[in-house]
Amino acid sequence: MREEEKFLVLLSQFELSIKKIDNIIDKLGSNICIDDFFASKDMKAIVGEELYANIKICASEDRLRTYLKSLSSLNIKLLTRFSDDYPQKLALLQDAPYFLFCKGDISLLEEKAVSIVGSRTPSNYGRIMTDRFTEGLVKAGVVVISGLAYGVDSIAHRKALEVGGKTIAVLGSGLNNIYPAEHTSLAKEIEEKGLLISEYCPSMKATRYTFPQRNRIIAGLSDGVLITEAGLKSGTVHTKDFALDYGKDVFALPGNVNSEKSDLPNAIIKSGQGQCVTEVGDILEYFGLEKNSQKKEHAFELCLEEQEIVNLLADGDKNIEFLSEKCTFNINILNSYLTTLEIRGIIRRLPAGFYSLV
Amino acid sequence: MLSKVKSFGLRGIEGFMVDVETDVSNGLPKFDIVGLADTAIKEAKERVRTAIKNSGFEYPTKKITINLAPADVKKEGTLYDLAIAISILATDEELGLTNHNRFVMLGELSFDGQIKRVKGVLPLLIAARKQGYKKFIVPLENALEAGFIGGIDVYPISTLDECVRFLKGEAIVNKVEVCDFDKVVSSNEDMLDFSNVKGQARAKRALEIAAAGGHNLLMIGPPGSGKSMLAKCFSSILPDLTFEEALEVTKIHSVAGELDLKTGIVAKRPFRSPHHTASTVSLTGGGSNSKPGEISLAHNGVLFLDELPEYTRHTIETLRQPLEDGVITVARANATVVYPATFNLIASMNPCPCGNFGSKDRDCRCTPNQIHKYLAKLSGPIMDRIDIHVEVDSVSYDDLHSQKEEENSINIKKRVDRAREIQLKRFKNSKNYCNAKMSVPQTKKYCVLDKTGENILRTAFEKLKLSARANDRLLRLARTIADLEGEENILPQHIAEAIGYRSLDRKYWG
Repeated sequence: MREEEKFLVLLSQFELSIKKIDNIIDKLGSNICIDDFFASKDMKAIVGEELYANIKICASEDRLRTYLKSLSSLNIKLLTRFSDDYPQKLALLQDAPYFLFCKGDISLLEEKAVSIVGSRTPSNYGRIMTDRFTEGLVKAGVVVISGLAYGVDSIAHRKALEVGGKTIAVLGSGLNNIYPAEHTSLAKEIEEKGLLISEYCPSMKATRYTFPQRNRIIAGLSDGVLITEAGLKSGTVHTKDFALDYGKDVFALPGNVNSEKSDLPNAIIKSGQGQCVTEVGDILEYFGLEKNSQKKEHAFELCLEEQEIVNLLADGDKNIEFLSEKCTFNINILNSYLTTLEIRGIIRRLPAGFYSLV
Repeated sequence: MLSKVKSFGLRGIEGFMVDVETDVSNGLPKFDIVGLADTAIKEAKERVRTAIKNSGFEYPTKKITINLAPADVKKEGTLYDLAIAISILATDEELGLTNHNRFVMLGELSFDGQIKRVKGVLPLLIAARKQGYKKFIVPLENALEAGFIGGIDVYPISTLDECVRFLKGEAIVNKVEVCDFDKVVSSNEDMLDFSNVKGQARAKRALEIAAAGGHNLLMIGPPGSGKSMLAKCFSSILPDLTFEEALEVTKIHSVAGELDLKTGIVAKRPFRSPHHTASTVSLTGGGSNSKPGEISLAHNGVLFLDELPEYTRHTIETLRQPLEDGVITVARANATVVYPATFNLIASMNPCPCGNFGSKDRDCRCTPNQIHKYLAKLSGPIMDRIDIHVEVDSVSYDDLHSQKEEENSINIKKRVDRAREIQLKRFKNSKNYCNAKMSVPQTKKYCVLDKTGENILRTAFEKLKLSARANDRLLRLARTIADLEGEENILPQHIAEAIGYRSLDRKYWG
């Protein structure tokens, strides 16, 4: 391990802000190593006396080795800004994270990736579209990045895993402190089939400041950011701003102008900050990728009753009340066909008794 | 002088024989009651003395001691007044009462000698009949409920004076005539009808299935979507009470003092809807006297819990044992009582604290965390006992004012009755009487799927992410759906329909 890498490994054990580390690195100049750090006089003032003493204790070779061993026993790989396998996409950024704690397949970091982000409380429209875009992107071989939050984030992760694709979750907390706790099992699955990363040391808890910071990594790691549904005051605004700063492409899904939840994507389209996308093809075309799916409509054989239901759902989601009103057959038959159609993946069930075509 | 009169006491809904023994001897005038009597009985001495005096009889100015035997069992209530009064009068040789110990007497006295209504006459009479007693004197007001028990002679009497004259053979009192239960049943037409509910086809279907198979049901929907209305209609499609069931229900209602004076028997299935501020004890039963609670009053009927997550968690959890066993054991310092509590649980809730989650026209403003907390109030074990979850959406204006004829309750009830008959035949030799209460071996035996059906179930679990505990519930539900259609085997469409009623198992919430 190179000296400067070793130095960052040492610092990664402490909750130092990016600014402080910037400062330290600045002061050290071109020769970054542990010895110089302790030789320099300014350092005590930068990190504070107590922390300085702590760092000193941990600086021994033995200590570093046990630290790395304890990380690997947790299946955590630590990438620092000076590591060879630090992702190219981040390396060039001004405020690139110094550390990336990773659980899972780190080769995903270099692959073509689109992040899908948005509201924590999406509408049915947002759910359907997030699902649809995720599936399309993943099937074309694109890695889907998101933030493991409620709503759009978790829908994107779940769908990506469901169709066997790759997904990266960027956390706003330490890897051992999954937030929200409810998504622990989802995080576990992502760890096994994709990648879980965080710039914070594993034991750190999430705070309200860590999430905007996490959004910059999401923006940095992806080639494009897709916003399916979000309000004007949502945290997604940060992701969008970071993406624009970094020169990444922003894709926005147009929505009903009366719906608060589509305010952000509509505003992006209006101001020309991002591309308007209405189907997965739009994004794939932008990246010069092939759409990898045959038209679904031809894949299914439907009986008369099923065709009737599908026809009723053709122009958007409908609730059970509407369906039972319009159908020519009884509610018990309707119920059973709805289930079989759903199992076959032709329609999907939404909250409050709504159904829509997939 | 010594005299003895028979009366009956209640422990829970079971009756026990009480001997009222009176000794009148010379000494300073005094009145004592022994035999673990509660305050209401202790106070009987004032009522009895005044009633005897005001009825024109002589009250002995002697030392009176009353013993309520068996002396080691607690006794409560006012129903011993009459027996005490008669036994005091019986010590008066001049009055010449002789056949007073051939009757079991129940009744409370008022100061003017009127005999007033007492609680629990029906269960008392049933217990007494079982122990071989044949002749009873009860308050006139209780005559109706007494009329449903055959094989005994019940004499309704309204005053102490009348009672004495009757015992001396001077007055003629007609026996209570045995009522015909069927007549009472057919006169019950004041229930809400499903034809009044517009739209809500799926919810109605779900309620029909719940009624047919005795399944517990949870309705999820925004405020104002008609959940309570649907629940109130539910009793109208339940099968009629049989006479034996009605007696059981009446027993409990009689003990609780909730019996309707006009009919004397609970002839329609009870519908109880305790408010969500109800205490745990009011639901389960209890108090120092171990009174029956709401769930026992809902025995053989419907317990409707509106806004289920608003009940305290503790209260909801106490429903676990009765939902499983159909009885509740109420243990208190004074008595440990087992009350029957076999009820159909119908619950309703909003999908989230604000109620609009997933709604088309109104936005939900709850954070995912709030929704999660709200739903987490319903623990796994409780959800385990609820077979059907059905989403109810608010009805549009057009639906409300549509002229379309909705099916009425009578037609639905016919289908329910038919399905119940099939079940009664199926479970002829076992303890349970409906599909919802099937044991695991029974589920294995009666809920067999064919290849296609099994395929559907397996893919449903994989694709729809149903939780594993849904498996047996789904099979039982499918069995009921098949019964409704009169099918002997569970067909694929039955299991497919059943899967549609497990929405809370799904992960799209939040």
